[in-house]
Amino acid sequence: MRVHVGDSILQLWNESGATSLFVVGTGKNVGKTVALRAIYGACVRGGVPCGLTSIGRDGEAFDVADTAAKPRLWLEPPSIIATAREVLPRSPASELLAFTAHRTAAGALVYARIRSGAYYELVGPPSASGVRAVVDDLLQFVPRVLVDGAIDRVAALAGGHDAIVVSCGAAAAPAQGEAIDDVRALVVRLRTPRFDGKTESLQIEGALTPAIAAQLIRERERRAIVVRDPTQILLTGKAALHAFDRLGIYCERPLNVIAVTIASAGRDRTFEPREFARAVATATAVPTFDVYAAERAA
Amino acid sequence: MKTGSLLDPASAQAVGFSWLRDALAPAGPYGEAQFAGIEPFAPGQEAQARDRAARVARIAAALDVAQLDAAREIARHVPDAGAAVARASMGDALDDANLLELQRFFDACERLDALTAACDDLPRTAGEPVRECARALERGRAGRFGFYLNDAFDASLATARGALAHTQAEYDAARGRASAAVAAALDREISLPEFIVMRADLAGSLPSGVRVVREAPTYLLCELDADEGVLAALRRRDEAAAAVAHAEERVREHLASTIRSRAAALEDGMRSFGECDVLIGAARFTRTYRCSVASIQAQAGLAFEGARFVPLANELEAQGRAFTPIGLRLDGVAVLTGPNMGGKSAALRTCGFIALCAAFGVPVPAQRAQTALFAEIAWLGIGSDREERDGSLLSSFAREVVRLRDLLGGAASPRLVLLDEFARTTTPREGKALLVAVIERLREMRACGLAATHLGGVAEAAGTRHYAVRGLRGIPQAPAADDLTQALETLAASMDYTLEEVSGERPQGADAIALAALLGIDARVIEAAYRAMESE
Repeated sequence: MRVHVGDSILQLWNESGATSLFVVGTGKNVGKTVALRAIYGACVRGGVPCGLTSIGRDGEAFDVADTAAKPRLWLEPPSIIATAREVLPRSPASELLAFTAHRTAAGALVYARIRSGAYYELVGPPSASGVRAVVDDLLQFVPRVLVDGAIDRVAALAGGHDAIVVSCGAAAAPAQGEAIDDVRALVVRLRTPRFDGKTESLQIEGALTPAIAAQLIRERERRAIVVRDPTQILLTGKAALHAFDRLGIYCERPLNVIAVTIASAGRDRTFEPREFARAVATATAVPTFDVYAAERAA
Repeated sequence: MKTGSLLDPASAQAVGFSWLRDALAPAGPYGEAQFAGIEPFAPGQEAQARDRAARVARIAAALDVAQLDAAREIARHVPDAGAAVARASMGDALDDANLLELQRFFDACERLDALTAACDDLPRTAGEPVRECARALERGRAGRFGFYLNDAFDASLATARGALAHTQAEYDAARGRASAAVAAALDREISLPEFIVMRADLAGSLPSGVRVVREAPTYLLCELDADEGVLAALRRRDEAAAAVAHAEERVREHLASTIRSRAAALEDGMRSFGECDVLIGAARFTRTYRCSVASIQAQAGLAFEGARFVPLANELEAQGRAFTPIGLRLDGVAVLTGPNMGGKSAALRTCGFIALCAAFGVPVPAQRAQTALFAEIAWLGIGSDREERDGSLLSSFAREVVRLRDLLGGAASPRLVLLDEFARTTTPREGKALLVAVIERLREMRACGLAATHLGGVAEAAGTRHYAVRGLRGIPQAPAADDLTQALETLAASMDYTLEEVSGERPQGADAIALAALLGIDARVIEAAYRAMESE
């Protein structure tokens, strides 16, 4: 179904009531920044002032790890960014609003208001708590904040009331089936249901690790397994799906996945876009968009 | 703040050096830079130490707590603009973050000077050069705290930016037209540089203006292909962007040259700011702990009244208890006796702490105090045997002896020596003999000191002044339940921690047995202990 992907996700974001939106991914080069750019574009067209930051480093012209070309972030006034001072372009000049106590590999993190449209690089705080603090700070300046997430770095989602967009793609898995398993596992994990307190439960202090989950499965644990929030579930891929299948896993503070985006063209392989989008939508039961094809999975 | 040669690590720990350093610490980067280099005043610098403490006390009197805290808030939030000034002075171009740092520094100087205007003992931070630089940057003020290379800096900025906005709009329009044409031809949105066209949706060939960047079996990954019109618009936009960059750089150069020409004065301003921060930190300490200026004398000696070891006083206060201020006079080496948990160690630490504060030119936590500037404050005994935790093979007595050897071998003078139950772990007879001998040796070395001990007859044998903790006012009743906290409270209520000078030996009491009873030792053991005492 032909849609304007950015506008569609912005509408879902509006409906969620969240003020911040994180784009997280199942791997590298799965279209996180492309998705973020589409949503940001919808905000700009809709006149919604936005703040932007990243978990770690994003928005560079080339991936620092594998030198593959990366989509750049063209930002417009009056957006506000939280980024490292060393990566702010000298020209066009930005309006510097404040220094922060957060340090990054590229120097102190600063808040800056975009005064002229240009390409910008986002280097956000390296820690989850730092990202949370920066999101809260940005919301003092603007009504909405977009966060470009690193690969499956979901710890920063803890303690927030964010909307989440999950990106997946052909670049992060050797075959379509595995890509679908990965995104389903991540979405299932992030959408861990809230514990209603009506049944007998086993509270997990700290993280639900693969070792703990395996032991609980071996012991045929029937009680509800309750973690603080989904970021405390350290299970991925098939292990996560297996654990969720065998155990009743719940959380106290659920997260809010509003959409999935797909990138069917990886550097080494491609998936058939519509079939991939349909399969992801079926596996995750979340609105699924192909940003490149401007389509929503039927 | 460094110990220099005043304290070794064990003695520093015993007399609360780290606590004092934290309590005096300035709030911001300029103060921290100065504070890191502060060393104690040495013998011979009595006037400087006295003058500094008096200056700190005057600042504490001139500014109330709210003003001192407000000044520290200003210092805490000021960014370090030292690197910006250094870069400018070496001819380097400044970036906008540097300019914001400088603007924040200038703002902080103005606010700090206004806040401390009534206090002549603090240096002014915003001299005329600082104000000139502040005026030069003022046009960049954005909102209350921000900085932007505003058009007001230079008319060419507005012109260049106007041209950029115009050419950007032209380019966006040209690209938008091309994009709209392709979108119409394909009946879909084109909002990203790269987009997918499904082969199944393609009736015929791709529309003009589209370039295929990758082919897949079922789709084409495409980009918009810029036509001559778009490329020309892009060329004009890039030229305009370069003109903006050039104009912005020229403004930054001009601002950097303003900073460069006043770099020396700005560095002075930063030093003054740091000095203010350090002095205000000391003044806050003075107010918080009701300190007074000690009289600093050239000859070895230490005397005080109403003195407190504030690290312990703070802990007690947090538990709802009070530290009993103490007084004593040391003009040589004196002996201190008293019951267990009677405050002998606290008295020793108080001596060290008072001397330590005076050595750093800070008012001391006492009603009145007189002290020398000691070349060394040495602690020997309980609390100095850190090696015990390091797996040393030496016994506790052997460790004390090794420390004593080092202490007696040192040449520092005058010296304050604090002996906490030295030789407590050997036989009482030999322990007493050793302690008396050490006191006599310290006296020969003209050291000033206090030796706390449970050994009887040391003061008489050594011919020294003798202080004693008054001790238990009576035999406290043990709490009904086995409640250690309540037992300690009972003990504190029964204990008179006051020091008094005594002549001759005090009769040996049974405070230790009473304490053992209070702490819950079996009554039969206590009774047996009393019987044994009576039979002696």
